[in-house]
Amino acid sequence: MKKVLSLIVIVSLILILVPLGLKAGEPVKIRLVMKDELPSDPIVINYYDLLEKGLAREGIQVEIELIEMPAGNYAEKLNLMLLSGDIPDIIYFQGGDKQIADQGLLEDLTPYIESSKYIKSILGPHNIKRMENYPYLLWIKPLTAKVPVIRKDWFNQMETSADLIENPSIDNYYAFLKELRDQDLDGKGNPTYGVTVAGKMIELDSIFDQAFGNTSTWLKNENGQFIYCRVTNNEKEKLAFYHKLYAEGILDPAYLTKKWDTKEKVFYENQVGVISGTAGKVIDIYDGKMKKANGDEASLMVLPPAIGKAQGYTPVDVSKESRGIAISVLSKHKDIAFRILDFLASPQGQMIDRLGFENEHYQVEDGKIYLTEKSQQWFARFWEPLTFEAARPLATPLLGEAAADSLNRVSYYYTEDINILIPEEYVAKWDAMVNLYKEYSSDIITGKRPLADFDQFVAAWYKAGGEEITKYANKILK
Amino acid sequence: MKKLIKKINEDKLLYILILPALLYFIIFHIWPMTGMILAFQDYRIIGDNVWVGLKHFRILFSSPAFFNVLRNTVIISAMKIIFFFPVPIFLSLLINEVSNPKFKKYVQSVIYLPHFLSWVVIAGIWITFLSINGSVNQLINFFNLPSVEFLTNKQQIRWVFVFQEIWRSAGWDSIIYLAAIMKISSAIYEAAKIDGATRLQQMLYITLPQLKSTIITVFILNLGFFMNAGFDQVFNLMNDSVISVVDILDTYVYRIGLVNGQYAYATAASLFKGIIGIILIFTTHFLAKKISGKGLW
Repeated sequence: MKKVLSLIVIVSLILILVPLGLKAGEPVKIRLVMKDELPSDPIVINYYDLLEKGLAREGIQVEIELIEMPAGNYAEKLNLMLLSGDIPDIIYFQGGDKQIADQGLLEDLTPYIESSKYIKSILGPHNIKRMENYPYLLWIKPLTAKVPVIRKDWFNQMETSADLIENPSIDNYYAFLKELRDQDLDGKGNPTYGVTVAGKMIELDSIFDQAFGNTSTWLKNENGQFIYCRVTNNEKEKLAFYHKLYAEGILDPAYLTKKWDTKEKVFYENQVGVISGTAGKVIDIYDGKMKKANGDEASLMVLPPAIGKAQGYTPVDVSKESRGIAISVLSKHKDIAFRILDFLASPQGQMIDRLGFENEHYQVEDGKIYLTEKSQQWFARFWEPLTFEAARPLATPLLGEAAADSLNRVSYYYTEDINILIPEEYVAKWDAMVNLYKEYSSDIITGKRPLADFDQFVAAWYKAGGEEITKYANKILK
Repeated sequence: MKKLIKKINEDKLLYILILPALLYFIIFHIWPMTGMILAFQDYRIIGDNVWVGLKHFRILFSSPAFFNVLRNTVIISAMKIIFFFPVPIFLSLLINEVSNPKFKKYVQSVIYLPHFLSWVVIAGIWITFLSINGSVNQLINFFNLPSVEFLTNKQQIRWVFVFQEIWRSAGWDSIIYLAAIMKISSAIYEAAKIDGATRLQQMLYITLPQLKSTIITVFILNLGFFMNAGFDQVFNLMNDSVISVVDILDTYVYRIGLVNGQYAYATAASLFKGIIGIILIFTTHFLAKKISGKGLW
């Protein structure tokens, strides 16, 4: 009997372990690709070492092999790597995932999430909606809408501030930005302009789009039909307003050639009063840099979105995550790959991912966590749910006042976008249509074309493929 | 066959010497061309690609956006050929006339320098200078003249590309002509001096005609790259206001192919571009041979 039992155990072990190609006790190798994570970087080595040790304590024996990506555009290099047949187990996408998912290469994460221990409890409402629509990409981060910020000391000096806070109407916003242009707030004639953006009006849209009625990408008209918001009268009125800001020197005239770095530079140098940045960590960075450049009194504060036909920052697109983590269907260790992601959502995993290294980015005193100055340089590689549940209580907040306020405001003004995923056959046409909008809108704003040309744009947009896409959108959104 | 083997055997050292270069071209230039088959397929990561014939070409040629980018590519390339091509020739003639060797070396070093800057850096410098509130416009305003939208005006931006190309590459490209000038026999100049030729006459009637074959070769080779209107340059200076006049084939292929993942469609566009390049090379070669007796081979 003993012999039979031993034989069964041995055969069972062989049956379990041989297909996995593993020897008992040997860690499973998980290949992972992530943006800006160089396998030779000591911080990265330390981080993944901590992660492996943390997983081992949970009984998950893994060896994480980080793939080094060549320098350059991450999405482009990643897709070329995947198309060449080199497909890691865990893949971070920053765009370009739809084509890969369309080829059936990405695992549907729904069943994994349903049976997860931690992840399902930290999903935000936007994550849940996005996973329902597109179950291949997971990205548990706060809502990433852009919010406008200004130096708090300037705001307190201005005459129009009280009106703006009481009623952030389009007119009050205009008066506020105009005052910024006119006032000498730093004693050196600054700011010169009220507001600037990095080339794209999407940053200004985050303040004004909803106020002009653009509450979603596709809007329902009076006939119950969906139409693209950029070809509506709302858009026309908004462009007229932007042109007014441009013509009166309230909007930085060099906005079209500004990049993210030059936009920030003019802000810290006080040449511009208001810029927009992504809520959360980015605002924290802006705040830190502004205080470094102009002293602690120059801390930032977040401005509300304008109110008009509606009020809110950019509506949240719930059609899918725009970036995030995926698991390859070809992975031999999909379960283990997901257990790594689930561990990162646990209190122990969150300690590593969100706080960094003990005695470097944080210290533990009297059972509490105190963040060090170096913690400013740390960023979470994976999950950042709104509520942070660490293994120990946090004595210092993770984000500064402005950054925390930005996240709260984005949550407060949360509205969902109505949008569609552009199918493969329309990609080239959609590209042409988007470019058409970019050109007409910038020409109208900068006064190269009269506002009347907006109707010409609408006709050209429908001719360039708008008719077909509108039909398609109505089919999908009904 | 025996003769051929014998001939190869006689020159085997030369063949061994050429082997690394030959391998380089086979591995990095000829072999990758097999990937062009993707233009006739739908790409699949898992499983075999699906043969779709001319589907991507049909979509390409039915797209008005494609013809717009094609037109932009041709216009920008033509402007560069017409206005940039003579500059290195003219520059090499001028440098050749500088008699002080120290000054000559200094001038050469200064004009070669921009060639070593990346397009990202160059774009940053030019944006700082040419933006609506940049240094150049501040100077213009100083003379009570209105600002010029160099980078956001459809009429100006292509000229910015041409001048930028001249600023970056004219110095470096003049090296090939300077080398050709060095090869001209000094006896010809001495004979001309005895006959009383001035420096200008020597330049016009000796140097320039002697440069003819070099100019033709460089021109034909440049035409081969005619459809490469300068991805890095355009990409770094492109903005919403000028996109319709600066979007070229390379930026279009990048956007549709790499950003939006339409690899087969982008390969079709790229293949079309390559075919135009080959046609241009052959046409110019035969025309040059017919007119001047000199071609590429």
